[in-house]
Amino acid sequence: MDEKTKTELLTLFKNKLNRAMRYYLDTCTRCGVCTKACHAYASTGQVRYTSAYRHELVRRLYKKYFKLQGKVWPAAGEAKVLEDMTIKELYDAAYSCTGCRRCMVYCPFGIDTQMIMSIAKLLLVGASTEPELLTMLADMSIEKGKSMDVFKESFLTGIKKLEGQVVEKWRSEAGETVIPIDVDGADLLYVALAGAHSIIPAAAVFNAAGEHWTLSFFEAVNFGAFVGDPTRTTLILDRIISEAKRLKVKEVCICECGTAFRVMKHLTGPQPFKVSSITEVQARYIREGRIRLDKSIVSDTVTYHDPCQIARNGGIIDEARYILHHLTDNYTEMTKEPKYNWCCGGGGGLVAMGEETLDFRMTSSSIKADQVRKTGAKILSTACENCHTQLGDLNDHYKLGVDVKFLSSMVADALVR
Amino acid sequence: MSEDIKVEKVLDLKGLPCPMPVVKISKGIKEVEIGQVVEAITTDPGTLTDFPAWARTSGNEILKTDQTGDEIKFYVKRKV
Amino acid sequence: MQTLIYIIMVPMVYAAAAIFVVGIIIRLVVLLRAPANPSTLQIYPEKRPKWLWAIHDTFLFPTVRRHKPVLWVFLILFHIAFLLLFIGHLELFADFQLTQIIAHDIFLGQGFVGLTLSICLLFFLFRRIKSPVREISVPEDYLLLLLLFLTVLFGSQMDWARTWYEYGELTVEDYRAYLLSLVVLKPDLPFATTFSGHSFMLVLHIFFANLFLIFFPFSQLMHSILSLPMNKLRRG
Repeated sequence: MDEKTKTELLTLFKNKLNRAMRYYLDTCTRCGVCTKACHAYASTGQVRYTSAYRHELVRRLYKKYFKLQGKVWPAAGEAKVLEDMTIKELYDAAYSCTGCRRCMVYCPFGIDTQMIMSIAKLLLVGASTEPELLTMLADMSIEKGKSMDVFKESFLTGIKKLEGQVVEKWRSEAGETVIPIDVDGADLLYVALAGAHSIIPAAAVFNAAGEHWTLSFFEAVNFGAFVGDPTRTTLILDRIISEAKRLKVKEVCICECGTAFRVMKHLTGPQPFKVSSITEVQARYIREGRIRLDKSIVSDTVTYHDPCQIARNGGIIDEARYILHHLTDNYTEMTKEPKYNWCCGGGGGLVAMGEETLDFRMTSSSIKADQVRKTGAKILSTACENCHTQLGDLNDHYKLGVDVKFLSSMVADALVR
Repeated sequence: MSEDIKVEKVLDLKGLPCPMPVVKISKGIKEVEIGQVVEAITTDPGTLTDFPAWARTSGNEILKTDQTGDEIKFYVKRKV
Repeated sequence: MQTLIYIIMVPMVYAAAAIFVVGIIIRLVVLLRAPANPSTLQIYPEKRPKWLWAIHDTFLFPTVRRHKPVLWVFLILFHIAFLLLFIGHLELFADFQLTQIIAHDIFLGQGFVGLTLSICLLFFLFRRIKSPVREISVPEDYLLLLLLFLTVLFGSQMDWARTWYEYGELTVEDYRAYLLSLVVLKPDLPFATTFSGHSFMLVLHIFFANLFLIFFPFSQLMHSILSLPMNKLRRG
């Protein structure tokens, strides 16, 4: 690694050193309480997957370049020079961590491994060694924001095609738009994924609840956050914020996508609209009597996987259970305390990287497969795209014999007129 | 339908939800030579915006988009 | 030899205290001047009042109790014993009405506090040798435990000698005279502190304690100060 690259990378590193990050890098006592927390360690027994091991890789650089101890006496803390080999190690650590923050629940100090890994991810971006695919997807999202007018026509055509399927689930009143787009002054802006499965059931439920809603032009998922690039993350986020402001909506509702929800909820700062997850919104409709659900549709035992970014890191826990208790009398919990739920093993961009990461995703999540199996449930519901894909892959790989379903689509299928 | 376009490779991406079709095309396009064309068949309407946006950022060209029923066919020419 | 003893017991103590205080202040200034994280780092579900739960997490280590109960017992014993010894040392400077609510001789616990601390430190040291804690440990971790163990061992030895073997040459009054002379910047070494049979223990105790204080601001020991704000971040 040449000096120029090194200086650039260290500048990136330095910019990440806010107060919380410094707390996290200064404090670890390497007590080992976190070791049991990581699904990858629990599934494989490899110490490099424990959270303390992961952040120690970043901490060694911190000691070397930003801390007196590492400068005066590098051997004491095993401070390390930034070199090509370090970049490889950082890649392994960052892209085997799903950012689920389960270890944060174990740590006596509450060290946030996901946050420390964001340094590793940013250094990878700086060294152009990040997963190309994620950057490509992020750039695609940004491009859509920049040239919205160019894509508008084909977007509208695509959405028009879905209307038939929405009506199958919920027949709208005559004259009502089935999937409203670009509605000025709508109450709620729904930000879906760029796929039919994320739009159709949600649209049916909005229409059933008589919501004054509008569909966003943009997909909710933030590939910039996956790849740990703050610039791209903000650009992708800003597309939605400016759309919400332009339409003067009161609420931005994020589809079943954990990253999208957490980024939108926690990174937008104070805005004239509130941010909700679709699970929250659907629970609200039930509570207010705006929709009713038929309990006879689902007959098998149902369990629910709490998506890390939505439950442990986003606070949407009771709402999902509230919905489930209106869907079935046959609900069984996966874990006594949702904050201890095992990560599906697909977060942090791993699922988006597709087959490239499949082997690792399967071996690192055998503990999740065991957890699902132990519930004895036939239907495995969840509220996150990533989790859904990963759980589907686990279902095939470990022959769990469950039916993996989106919670929102179970709601749409059980709507009572 | 596409008599004038010589297709080198066909990618069947039917049933895949976004962003998987884009992930696959970005890999698939690298398996043909520059100047050759890949035909990608998708069903997710999200690809109608994803593909053009991807083509712009990756520097490839979508020669034609055909929509028949639920199927969407993209003819993508590798340019880089 | 007497010169070396003098260096350890006077200039080195001043240097260590200065590095300890200034080091910590600089570290805290750097931390406080750094910008706050733009978003919440909270873990859900939340419990209110958040600050009270943060204090609970900081002082009772509930996550350790749940996941490593044996370690928790040693950790709690260690931290309580450490606090008692800290109070004991404060009492060398002056008598405190508050701590004498339960009347006691200086250094509470008749030697058992030091014993508890030594055993805990040995436990911490040996558990590091076992996987997976071994792989994540760095030399600093062993070094701090070792330094603290040696400090505690020689310090307690003096206590044990007085309380258990009725050794009377080196008394609490001698320590007091020595410490107070340091505080008023007129360093004076009472005869017993340098020439009695056990004075080497005092010298070694002070020597290791000095090293410990010097290392403190630059090591993971900052967790003693940072644990509370970090736990507050987790509680939101």
